[in-house]
Amino acid sequence: MSAVETMTRKERRAERRRAAGRIMPPEGVELGLPIAGIGARLGAQITDILLTLGFAVSLVILLVFTDIAGPNTVTVIGSLLFFAIRVPYYILTELVWNGQTLGKRLMKIKVVSHFGGPLTTHALVLRNILKEAEVFLPATLVLTLTAESALASWIAFAWVLMALAIPLSNPHRMRLGDMLAGTHVVHLPDPILLSDLAKTPVSTAREEDKPITFLSHQLDHYGRFELQTLETLLRAQDGRIQANQAARNTATLASIVERIRKKIGYSDAVAPEDHEAFLRAFYNAQRAHLEQRQIFGDRRSDKHHRAEKAENGPKT
Amino acid sequence: MSDDAVLIRSARFRQEREADWVRLEALVTKAEKGGAQTLDFAEARDLASLYRQATTSLAIAREISLDRALLNYLEALAARAYLSVYAPQERLGGIFTRFFTQSAPRAMRQSWFFVLMGFLCLGLGAFVGYILYFESADWFYVFIPAELAGGRGPDASTEFLRSIIYDEDPEASGLGAFATYLFSHNTRIAIFVFGLGVFACLPAVLLTFYNGLLIGAFVALHVDRGLGWDIGGWLSIHGVTELSAICIACGGGLKLGAAVLFPGQRTRSEALRHAGRDALKLALIAALMLLAAAVLEGFGRQLIQDMTTRYAVGWGIGLLWLAWFVLAGRQRA
Repeated sequence: MSAVETMTRKERRAERRRAAGRIMPPEGVELGLPIAGIGARLGAQITDILLTLGFAVSLVILLVFTDIAGPNTVTVIGSLLFFAIRVPYYILTELVWNGQTLGKRLMKIKVVSHFGGPLTTHALVLRNILKEAEVFLPATLVLTLTAESALASWIAFAWVLMALAIPLSNPHRMRLGDMLAGTHVVHLPDPILLSDLAKTPVSTAREEDKPITFLSHQLDHYGRFELQTLETLLRAQDGRIQANQAARNTATLASIVERIRKKIGYSDAVAPEDHEAFLRAFYNAQRAHLEQRQIFGDRRSDKHHRAEKAENGPKT
Repeated sequence: MSDDAVLIRSARFRQEREADWVRLEALVTKAEKGGAQTLDFAEARDLASLYRQATTSLAIAREISLDRALLNYLEALAARAYLSVYAPQERLGGIFTRFFTQSAPRAMRQSWFFVLMGFLCLGLGAFVGYILYFESADWFYVFIPAELAGGRGPDASTEFLRSIIYDEDPEASGLGAFATYLFSHNTRIAIFVFGLGVFACLPAVLLTFYNGLLIGAFVALHVDRGLGWDIGGWLSIHGVTELSAICIACGGGLKLGAAVLFPGQRTRSEALRHAGRDALKLALIAALMLLAAAVLEGFGRQLIQDMTTRYAVGWGIGLLWLAWFVLAGRQRA
C-alpha cells in the first residue's frame, strides 16, 4: 500500500493545506507563503470599504455645501462617486504597492501570482473588476432589497452564499476573480534571524570538569522532531524567565535531563547546576550526528525511525 | 566551542553566508518601503543576485541543516525577496499609454468576429422589433416596461413625443442627469450582457436581442407618427456610442462563452483564462464608452437641440471610436 492510500481524510486535507502554502518561483526552489485566512481577508476588505466610503461621503458633503447638486440627485451622485473612487482605488493601489491595498498592508497580506513569477497588470485589473460582481453587486442588492420582490431576494441570497462558499471550498482561498486572474492572497512572512544555538559556548559550572561528550550509539535514539523540540526549549532559556516560573523551569530541565539520560544510557551523574550545559552539549552532539546521517541519506524524522526502518526494511 | 574547526557543518554553512542574508534583508526592506525605484544601480543588482543566492542557500539548508530557526528565517527571507524581485516594474503612465495606444485596439481587432456578432444581435433585434410594431402596435407594451417608456407609447399624443425629444427641462441636465444615466437601464444591460456571456453565450445573445427589440419598437412608434428623423437625432447623439458599448460588451461576453463552449486543445478553465485577456479589455472599452455616452446624455443632449447637429455630433464621435479601433496600435512594417 502506498502512503497516499493509507492517509485518512483528515491527513489528506492537512496535506493539501500544507501544499497550498507553497509557491514555485522561476528559480525552482519551492517557497513557503502561508495562505491568508478568511478573517484577515475580510478585515482588509472592510478597511478598504471604510476608506473609500469615507472619501466618497466627504466629497458628497462638500457637494451639498457648495450647492452644485440638487438634493434629489445627491444619493445617485453619492453612489456614483463611491463607485468611481473604489474601482480605481483597488486597481491602482495593488499596482503601485505590488499587490497590496491599504487594508492589505494593515493586515500584512498580499496578492501573489498563483503560478510563480510576477503579478501582471491584467491579473490585478481582472481580479478587482470581478470584485464588483462578487462583492459589491450582491451587497448593493442586499441593501436595496424590499419585501415585495421575493425572487430578487432569493437570487441575491444565493449569490452572496456563492461568493462566500467559493473561497471556503478551495485550499488556496481563491475568490472567483482570483481563479480567473491566476492569483491568491498570502500572509507576508516575517524573517527573524535568531542566533545559532550550536555557536553558543557550552560551559559547565566548574572549569576543571572535562567537557560533556556523547558516544555515537547514544545519539541513535532521537530524530529531527525531538531535536527541534529541544531547540525550542533551549531558545526559551535565553529569554527572560520570570521569578515565579524559575522553580518550575528548573524542575522541567531536571526531568528532561533524567529522561534523556535514561533513554540514551548516559551513566555519569549530572549536577543540577550543569543541567542546561548538559542539554546544550547534547543538542550540539545530536544535531551534528543527525545532520551527518542526513547527508548520508538517512533522514530520521522522530524517535520512531528504528521501528519504521524495521518495518520497511525487508521490502527494500 | 566557537572555534571554527569545532563548529558543526551546518553552523559553518550559516556563518559563511550570514552577512549576505542580512544585506539582502536590508535591501528587501528598503524596496518594500519605498518601491524598487529607491534602490540605486548597485543595490538593484545585488538584490537580484543575493535573492538567487538565498534560494540556493535555502535549497542546501533544507538538505543539510536541522536548525529550525535557520530554516524558518531563510524560508521567510527568500519569500520576501521573491516578492520584491518579481514586483511589477511598470510605471502607471506606461500602463495607461499601452492600453490606449496598443492593447485596447488590438483586442478589438482580434475579437472583431465576436463584436460583429454583438452588433448583429442588436441589429436583428431592432429589425424584428420594428417589423412587429407595424404588424400590431400592442407589441410595444409587450416589449417595453411602463417605467422605461415614461408615458411614451401608442396612446401618447404626437405633441407629447415631440416635447420629450426637444425638451428643455433644466432639472434633468448636468451632473444629476449624468449620474442618473450611469445607473440607468443600459449600463445594467451592458454589465449583464458581459457577465452572462460565460454561461455558454445564450443569455448574452438573448439580452442583446431583447435590447434591440426595445429600440426597434421605440423607433417604429416615432416613425409611425412622422417623427422618424427627429428620434434618429435624439438617439444618435449618445446612442451611437452607447449601443456600440452594449454590442462590444456583448462581444466580450460571447468571447468568454465561446471559450467555455469550444475550448479546443486547452482545458475549459485555461481557455476561459486565455479568452479573459481580450474580453477584459473589451469590457474596459465598453465601460469607457458608456462613460462618454453619459457625458453626452447629461450635457450634450440638452445643449444641442438642432437635429442636424445631433446627427453630426453622434456619428462624428462614432467615427472617432471606429478610427481608434481600426488605426491605433498597428506595427509599422
